Amino acid sequence: MSFVSVPFAVFVISAVLLYYLMPVKYRYLVLLAASIFFYYSACGKYIIYILATIVITYLSSMAMERVKGRSAIVFDRGQKKEAKKWLKKRLKIIMIICLFLNFGILITLKYSNFLFSNINMIRVGFFGSTDMWGFGKLVLPLGISFYTFQSMGYIIDLFYRRYDAERNPLKLALFVTFFPQIIQGPISRFKDISPTLFGGNRFDADNFRKGLYLILFGVAKKLIIADRLSGFIKNSSALYRDLNGTYMLLMVFLYSMQLYADFSGGINITIGTARLFGVDVTENFVRPFFSKSVSEYWSRWHITLGTWFRDYIFYPISISKKLMAFGKKVSRVNDFLGKRTSLYTATIVVWTATGLWHGPEWRYVLWGLLNGIIMCVSAELTPLYDRLNNMIGWKMGGVLHRSFAVIRTFVIMSMLRVFDLSFEGIRQALSIYKRILLRQGGISAEMLESLGLSMKDLKVAAAGIAVLFVISMLERKKSIYDRLMQRPVAQRWIFCTVSVAAVIIFGYYGLGYNSADFIYMQF
Amino acid sequence: MEELLSILKEIHPEVDYDTEDGLIDKRIFDSFDIVTLVGQLTEEYDIEIGPEDLIPENFNSAESIYGLVERLMEE
Repeated sequence: MSFVSVPFAVFVISAVLLYYLMPVKYRYLVLLAASIFFYYSACGKYIIYILATIVITYLSSMAMERVKGRSAIVFDRGQKKEAKKWLKKRLKIIMIICLFLNFGILITLKYSNFLFSNINMIRVGFFGSTDMWGFGKLVLPLGISFYTFQSMGYIIDLFYRRYDAERNPLKLALFVTFFPQIIQGPISRFKDISPTLFGGNRFDADNFRKGLYLILFGVAKKLIIADRLSGFIKNSSALYRDLNGTYMLLMVFLYSMQLYADFSGGINITIGTARLFGVDVTENFVRPFFSKSVSEYWSRWHITLGTWFRDYIFYPISISKKLMAFGKKVSRVNDFLGKRTSLYTATIVVWTATGLWHGPEWRYVLWGLLNGIIMCVSAELTPLYDRLNNMIGWKMGGVLHRSFAVIRTFVIMSMLRVFDLSFEGIRQALSIYKRILLRQGGISAEMLESLGLSMKDLKVAAAGIAVLFVISMLERKKSIYDRLMQRPVAQRWIFCTVSVAAVIIFGYYGLGYNSADFIYMQF
Repeated sequence: MEELLSILKEIHPEVDYDTEDGLIDKRIFDSFDIVTLVGQLTEEYDIEIGPEDLIPENFNSAESIYGLVERLMEE
């Protein structure tokens, strides 16, 4: 059931009606039933994996609560330090078991064949083995990376005692399976989403209206921009050997736009759908293409994944006592390296993991590492940039300086996305770079059309991107929704009618056409 | 507080720490800055800052950072 389809619309309308007909106290049960139905209709018997994650997470959280209760009995008030140590040790054991089991499912299903293929390569190369190890084709259940990360964030938060565990297993099951965000996130935090997810929200017209606007905005991004560009990008990355660098350059920049329209459009639909039920889902994008550096870009793009890695991997590694002590040892030999040991070790670990999160392939690992390296290098070069800016005479933070930084970041991020497009692996990426740098040439309308991008497609997508740009500019000060709400009702209706008409007229759909899957769904 | 302010000034000299209360929320401090700050606080005050302490509320202003330092010194 695609997000942009009639069955999904019927499903959501039915769920909304049932939700508001149900007594407030039981409304979360409608969401749970809808989520289980949605997941089962998408995955069938593979629902077993998400159920296993729910059971493991719930049992672990209850074990943690039990241990917390016991520490209050075993130790009296005067033994605060001992109690803390005792409790931390036991919570840690439970957390590790839970992480091991849940990440074990994810690693087995998503990464075991990648691991085996590399082991096989070594066995064949060094030992001449002829038998291949592996599990054969494994089915990856829908949203497994998203719901595993979300559940494990919850368990790690319980270990840090940021809040108490949810005692109602049905509520925990809803937190893990909530259908609008199961396909492509965001990766919500329990503390943020639980009040409105379990609260049994009363109908709020403003919230509902905002939800509908967001869905409309998301569908427009998906159908007018993302799906229209999808064919050209797929074809030109598959036929890269026959195309010159100009086509590759066009593919790279259009892919950036497609990915943004697709992913942020999907997130708009997610947040909008959740709002129809009064549920607040965390925003996942804040105008990423207005970022002035790669690190700023990653604080604005897929925010919930970035903060997950930051809070649960980057911080614990970078401030760990052992790594800091090792850094001090290194400082005795080389002060420069010593001061950066923990920071850069954590950066490399996080970005390797981020790469792997996107897919069990070396091209993603390299893509992740390059992101991390660029961030470390740009942190080191900041004084040099400042000096260069002074030499040129640009005012720091002025329009020229900011525009340059924004364009530079956009070009870097788009170029890194070549790895996304290189389905054949790293060699393909290198070949695409080579073409961009050394084999520029002309492009023709006929060739573009044969690749799936007619002049009409190009004009419509360009107009869509221009509108998106204007909206992003306007949203720097106030959201487009808030601006609309300040307008008279008649103007709002005109806006809505024009937007719906634009989707109908310029959307990429029709008889025999199924809206493409969301790109982030594969993760 | 003076020592803390000089550490913070070293990381971001342009910030007015007397009034700024959105160091994290306004993305003035990124994760690199936080780790650098934690390293210096650990050394300067001989405290142990754990990942559980790294929440925006503890780092949004000089005052809240100082509050965290005082709390950890007492422990």
